[in-house]
Amino acid sequence: MPKISLKNVSKSYSKGGLKAVNDLNLEIADGDFMCLLGPSGCGKTTTLRMIAGLENLSSGELVIDDKVLDARNKGVFVPPEQREMGLVFQSYALWPHLTIEENTDFGLRLRKVTKVEREERVTKIMKILGIDSFRNRYPSQLSGGQQQRVALARMLVVSPKILLLDEPLSNLDARLRLEMRTELKRIHKEFGTTIVFVTHDQWEAMTLATRIAVMNNGKVQQVGSPDEIYGRPSNQFVAEFVGNPPINILDLSRKNDLLDFVETFLQRNEPYYRDVCYIGLRPETIRLTKNEADLLEEDLHAPVKIHSIMPTGGNWIIELKAGGVKLHATTNEPPGWEIDEPLFFHVEAALIQMFDDRSERIDQIENLEQ
Amino acid sequence: MPTFFLYGVTMHLPILGLKKGNLPSKISYRFSTDWREPTSIIGIFLTIVFAYLILAPILSLLYDAIQVQFGDQRRAGSPVGGLTSYYLNRTLFSPVSSDLFWEPLSHTLSISIGTILISLSVGCILAWLLGRTDLFGRRWFATALIVPYMLPSWTFALAWRTAFKNREVGGQMGWFEALGLTPPDWLAYGQFPITIILALHYTPFVILLFGNALRRLDSQLEESARILGASPQVVARKIILPLMLPSLMSATVLIFAKCLGEFGVSYVLGLPVDYDVLATSLYRSISSRQPGVAAVIAIAIMLLGMISLLIDARLVRESRKFVTIGGKGSMNRKNSLGKLQFPAYAFALIIFLISVGLPLLVLTMSTLMRVPGNFSLDNFTLDYWVGHNLEFVYVPSGILLTPDLWNATWNTVKIVGFASICSGLMGLLVGYVVVRSKVRPVSIFLRQVTFFPYLVPGIAFAAAYLTLFAVPRGPIPALYGTSVILILALMSDQMPFASRAGISAMMQLGKDPEEAAQVAGARWFRRMISIVIPIQKGSLVAGVLLPFISGIRGLSLFVILAVPGTDVLTTFSLRLLDYNYTQAANAVVLIISALAFFGTLSVQKLTRTNLADGLEG
Repeated sequence: MPKISLKNVSKSYSKGGLKAVNDLNLEIADGDFMCLLGPSGCGKTTTLRMIAGLENLSSGELVIDDKVLDARNKGVFVPPEQREMGLVFQSYALWPHLTIEENTDFGLRLRKVTKVEREERVTKIMKILGIDSFRNRYPSQLSGGQQQRVALARMLVVSPKILLLDEPLSNLDARLRLEMRTELKRIHKEFGTTIVFVTHDQWEAMTLATRIAVMNNGKVQQVGSPDEIYGRPSNQFVAEFVGNPPINILDLSRKNDLLDFVETFLQRNEPYYRDVCYIGLRPETIRLTKNEADLLEEDLHAPVKIHSIMPTGGNWIIELKAGGVKLHATTNEPPGWEIDEPLFFHVEAALIQMFDDRSERIDQIENLEQ
Repeated sequence: MPTFFLYGVTMHLPILGLKKGNLPSKISYRFSTDWREPTSIIGIFLTIVFAYLILAPILSLLYDAIQVQFGDQRRAGSPVGGLTSYYLNRTLFSPVSSDLFWEPLSHTLSISIGTILISLSVGCILAWLLGRTDLFGRRWFATALIVPYMLPSWTFALAWRTAFKNREVGGQMGWFEALGLTPPDWLAYGQFPITIILALHYTPFVILLFGNALRRLDSQLEESARILGASPQVVARKIILPLMLPSLMSATVLIFAKCLGEFGVSYVLGLPVDYDVLATSLYRSISSRQPGVAAVIAIAIMLLGMISLLIDARLVRESRKFVTIGGKGSMNRKNSLGKLQFPAYAFALIIFLISVGLPLLVLTMSTLMRVPGNFSLDNFTLDYWVGHNLEFVYVPSGILLTPDLWNATWNTVKIVGFASICSGLMGLLVGYVVVRSKVRPVSIFLRQVTFFPYLVPGIAFAAAYLTLFAVPRGPIPALYGTSVILILALMSDQMPFASRAGISAMMQLGKDPEEAAQVAGARWFRRMISIVIPIQKGSLVAGVLLPFISGIRGLSLFVILAVPGTDVLTTFSLRLLDYNYTQAANAVVLIISALAFFGTLSVQKLTRTNLADGLEG
């Protein structure tokens, strides 16, 4: 069964130049829907292209199912055309001079599949993806969403064990995106394919993936399930990258009125919060109240003023000002407050994210055990 | 298949138990990645081909300038093949140097300056009228005023000579002479007519370059200045001119580079009064068998050409700084000419008439008239086109009935066509290798070497070819006098355009479609046949046809390398002119003009390309 492992993989495009991927280690299990998530330029597409064989490794090893596919120091490189994977490009890369049917047919022809079987498989996959009515059209005559389906069909028809997707949804409008997301999830279930998916859109990653690898500057920051990534970010970068509106980070080395409250809170809870340099508050964990009596002693709380309220349709983003610091909170109940109204905010202690001086996560439990 | 073999090797190496990081595994890794596919092999092949076709002639030219040639042993004071500074001295410092080099240089420079001044001032006004105003008949003028650029420049020179020729030169009289008005020498020959004709020929060049830049200039930039209270004059001086300056400079330098290699016009109008420019001086040195001197002159032309085009490259890079992202807001509003409508229209029409209408009319009429300048009806005849038993020795029947014309036509089609097909294909290949090859030195070398002939005026390049291929070298026999040398030279001369077209086509295509095929399991050859070539079909057609059309009217390359046996249309007409068969020469030039004009139009229609696209460097 296909298990992809990247061991100490580095990639630089010129000798001694900047490393697009830097000493990356990643294991992708069979049947995973693995998402490589990160800002542009973090090396996620390069990683995907190295798995496909379109880029070769500068150092390290790529092993799939115990078979070495790319290792410079062993002198081994298996070219992409022999790796039998599927890859859907961001631009779809449909061949403009071939009809939809010929596009879909291409891989099967190369594999010398008989005509009868080819017809059968092409028709089947086209029906599944709902593009069989366009079979004689050319790519330029299709909409973006339809082209995307053809790009997918073209790769799925040869039943690859591994399917690689390079930001396939980024060129679609919001409605089509939702539709294709459902489609991809269904395909993943139906075909049992291992999927590696590259995106910079955290929303896409959260909704689709079974596991997410967050990348930055050519390195993996954290690998885990969507819930882990969101709930227990392993460092400040991951915490800030995932979540919208972004997490509120308070730098404890600064001095302001809000931090005095935070300091009081931390001191009250010594020694559990030793070594904490930054704390992070997810917007939805911030609760607001008019009534000082609602505040619990063990929670973090401080007085704030409402700066602005932005409805997003069923949800509201509330911008708060607390002692010179701006905070974002979200709520799904209609907020009944006025601008500049003085309130109190409070956050449950267990929901506070903490980071040390290197921005690495500090787990409350670990501290408690010490 | 080498791929297969290498792949087999790489797969076995680990089994042989080679250790980590040792040399064989490094080599085998290189072979299984960078060198796995034919791309690099083709790259090496192309590198060798172009090193020989482009670099070797230039080197041989350089060598000729410092090496004693046959017959010069005594004067140079050393045996044939020895090193000497004799030719440098003779060309640059001896008493004859003023005739050989300095005077032609000063002529070339003064013609260039005159040409640049006139074509810039006329061209800028026309470009503005066409691009930014509601000039009556704008669309029609936009094509009509470009026509001079599609025709060979010496078309106008022949028309000029037909009209203004005076008794200084034998043969048929000019029209004015025939009417009893003897035009003075300065009007008939030399600097004045050459400058005028070249200026008219390069005006379209300015219209295209300057017009493109104007079109890209967002008129909201002007409007913002106007709203802030700037008068039209201030807007022109402070906003438009600074933004247009790079394109003006660029046009200046390009026209200068073209004037350097200009042969036809100076030959037709300069020769009768011994008015030499660098190109004609080079031609004279070659035809009077002074290869050493010719080499020095050719090198000088080449250096001037290279310097000016490097300046241009610099300017283009500078002008990129000004590229503003206009986006969707970019506007191009037309100014109303109002009362100036009529004078503007008259100006455009007059320019059209003197640069296209009159010359073609004069040439056409001259081929129909028995006695020049006599406009009575019985003087008109079709004999020079289709007649028999004319009084000429060389072409005793009408030009269309002369086998030489058809030979020359066939030669043109054969030589130019073959060269264009080769350069088109090579261009695509170069584009592929440059964009795809993982072996960077190969791709850098190819990109630069194929662009190199652009820096060298055609006539100097032809001289370089002559030095390399006039004698047998190694396995390659002497090619002078064969069509092979013409094909090779023309092909190399077309490579800058062809390789740029190929590179940009491959860039535009991007890697994705090919990589998609690769992931789907297609090997290199398969990808070429089923993906790359079918997608690039259109640009390949354009890459063959456009050089073909411009090759038909080319002269400076052929005049050095062609012999009567390999006559093409342009050299054939020049030969007729030398024999003073005015009507026949003019008729052939008209045929070339028609071919070039209708060819350009149909290629533009066919491939939806624009003449202006190929111009910008």
